[in-house]
Amino acid sequence: MEWNKIIKEMMFLLGIATISAFTVNFFSPKGIALVGQWDESPGVVASKADSDVFNGELEIKDVKTAKQIYDKGTAVFVDARSLENFKNGHIKNAKPLPLNQFDNFIKAFKKKYPANTFIVTYCSERTCDDSHKLEQLLFDHGYINVSIFIDGYQAWKAEGYPIE
Amino acid sequence: MVIKPGKRRVTQLNNKLRHLFNNGWIEIAFRWILGITFIYASYYKILSPADFAKMVYGYNLFPEVLINLIAIVLPFVELISGLCLILGIYPRSAALIINGLLLAFIIILIINIIRGYEFDCGCFSAEKAGSPKMMVARDIIYLMMGLQVFLFNGVRKGCFIHLGRRI
Repeated sequence: MEWNKIIKEMMFLLGIATISAFTVNFFSPKGIALVGQWDESPGVVASKADSDVFNGELEIKDVKTAKQIYDKGTAVFVDARSLENFKNGHIKNAKPLPLNQFDNFIKAFKKKYPANTFIVTYCSERTCDDSHKLEQLLFDHGYINVSIFIDGYQAWKAEGYPIE
Repeated sequence: MVIKPGKRRVTQLNNKLRHLFNNGWIEIAFRWILGITFIYASYYKILSPADFAKMVYGYNLFPEVLINLIAIVLPFVELISGLCLILGIYPRSAALIINGLLLAFIIILIINIIRGYEFDCGCFSAEKAGSPKMMVARDIIYLMMGLQVFLFNGVRKGCFIHLGRRI
């Protein structure tokens, strides 16, 4: 077998793939950073894509603060997870707005909740950024008072807070 | 020397297998199956690198600094290798790259099966592709095809360039 030739050809193909990859990533609006944020302790993990809309100021970073907001009763908690996950268990009185069915749900949601409603979005946990994406979608629909509970349903449930 | 009937049957089977292994039509079929599969696999990853990076993170095996680099480069390695297999450009080298990737996927999946780790963030960006055991079985079948393409000794059909020979 002509190993020298095979290795040269492989290097050539891998070189073309690498150059194409970095070029496309650089120019694509969906490109990501060369190094992402994959440590859960400071917040939600993310690849830091160019299209990311993460706003740290909107994040509720601990479950106790989320519970205090919940207890005041002024905020509507909105679940970004799939409808199936929502049905299996969610924060008590939370409303479903599954990210993959957002367009089907938002019309009814807007009729019920005016644009100045204080909304708290959440999903599963810090490995999930759906609550951030939902916040952006709600913002695009005129909701300006939205916070993101980044520890999500798992942490809420683990604390023994009300679920249904 | 008298050859026993059992031994003769094994020899005949070996010859048939060798014949199948060196069948040019099987080689081109495997090349196309692998090529289309890998181009298809790369498509979604190239369109949504952020989601793919989340999946790489989900395997919980790679250092944080490498996750994004893998998510950026790997889909293009799959795309270029897949295209080369279909077009018959350096098919042996492309098959070797694909086999390397498949072997890596199989090892990663087996490690996670053994340690009982399954990533499920409940998010839309990292939905499960299937059960890990099914994925290992599927990748082993692809690896067999890749080995046939790599080790094939006959004249390859439908190739632009292979090992310097233009057909």
